[in-house]
Amino acid sequence: MYDVIIIGGGPGGVAAGIYAARKKMKALLITDSFGGQSLTSAGIENWIGTKSISGYDLAKMLEEHLRAQQGIEIVDNDLVSGVTKKDGGFDVATKGGKTFETKYILMASGSRRKKLGIPGEAEFDGKGVVYCSTCDAPIFGGKTVAVVGGGNSALESVIDLLPYASKIYLMVRSEIMRGDPVTQEKLKNHPQVEILFNTMPQEVIGKDFVTGLRYKDAKTGEQKELALDGVFVEIGLIPNSDFVKDFVALNEFGHVVVDHKTQQSSCPGIWAAGDVSDVLYDQNNISVGDSIKAALNIYDKIKKS
Amino acid sequence: MANVTIYSTPVCVYCKMAKELFAKNNVQYNEFNVASDLKAREEMVGKSHQLGVPVIDIDGTIIVGFDQKRIEAALGLK
Repeated sequence: MYDVIIIGGGPGGVAAGIYAARKKMKALLITDSFGGQSLTSAGIENWIGTKSISGYDLAKMLEEHLRAQQGIEIVDNDLVSGVTKKDGGFDVATKGGKTFETKYILMASGSRRKKLGIPGEAEFDGKGVVYCSTCDAPIFGGKTVAVVGGGNSALESVIDLLPYASKIYLMVRSEIMRGDPVTQEKLKNHPQVEILFNTMPQEVIGKDFVTGLRYKDAKTGEQKELALDGVFVEIGLIPNSDFVKDFVALNEFGHVVVDHKTQQSSCPGIWAAGDVSDVLYDQNNISVGDSIKAALNIYDKIKKS
Repeated sequence: MANVTIYSTPVCVYCKMAKELFAKNNVQYNEFNVASDLKAREEMVGKSHQLGVPVIDIDGTIIVGFDQKRIEAALGLK
């Protein structure tokens, strides 16, 4: 039986793993990949200590730092599919068919991309509907595309597209963009970019590939259509908390509600940190801090028992 | 030896991961940058019927994205 199973290989999970190893806890970290949600970012400029680093390089650094620790076991190609409570701890099951026993759990499982949930989206996934702008922006050279979203991910996708697409529509759902003012300024008067506010995408249209996007003007109710070659979806995140939803308190968005002093959830024995928790700000630097807090709190618990 | 081709773009993380997998297993491959090579881009779309990268062709088996298990199986690894 493990002292703790850490779920997730992003900055949070890795931080917890490193601290758990250094406290000589019997720990297992389960992830399908390292780096977390920033893996596909071309340039992270707010990872403290580094002016700019690609998500890929950050992921490599995190993995190497974790693997340099003694004693922590790592499953790096699997996903947690279920957690069940039992006497003295929990059973953690994985998609790959393994089960592990543990006293405590530290959830650092982050979030996944939200989809538009509109007709045509699934049909044209990979055929003009895009979720990774750093990967696929170069394929839309000379084309007309839309980026749906108003936060930093959406703004960064527009920036990823500037060297390639001839025209970029930024389709924001409300009156305002939530992304950093610094990035907003870069785009506001850019000749390639047209920002549309109050837009609600309704349907992705196309034949073999995307040819357009039908949307509703949220103010007037009018249905409009844009002729497009690509739709980049950057509309937010869903916490990966499904596997504990039956016995851990979640807020209305699905985040694990935690005591922010200790990162403990409503269920004794389960801690949560990072984007999967109800932290106010989804930031790599914060996930690291909160995950370490959780790991040390778990260590205190083990020492007392 | 398998005939391996990868269609990629410069900043694509999953393309990098695929190439690392090839390097780790001493697999030789041809690479086409579909950001700049339009002919290769058409070839990629023709083979995979979609626009995402990476597209990996292993002896005619087409794999879209970094699907580690499928790539290893197609290469006869593990």
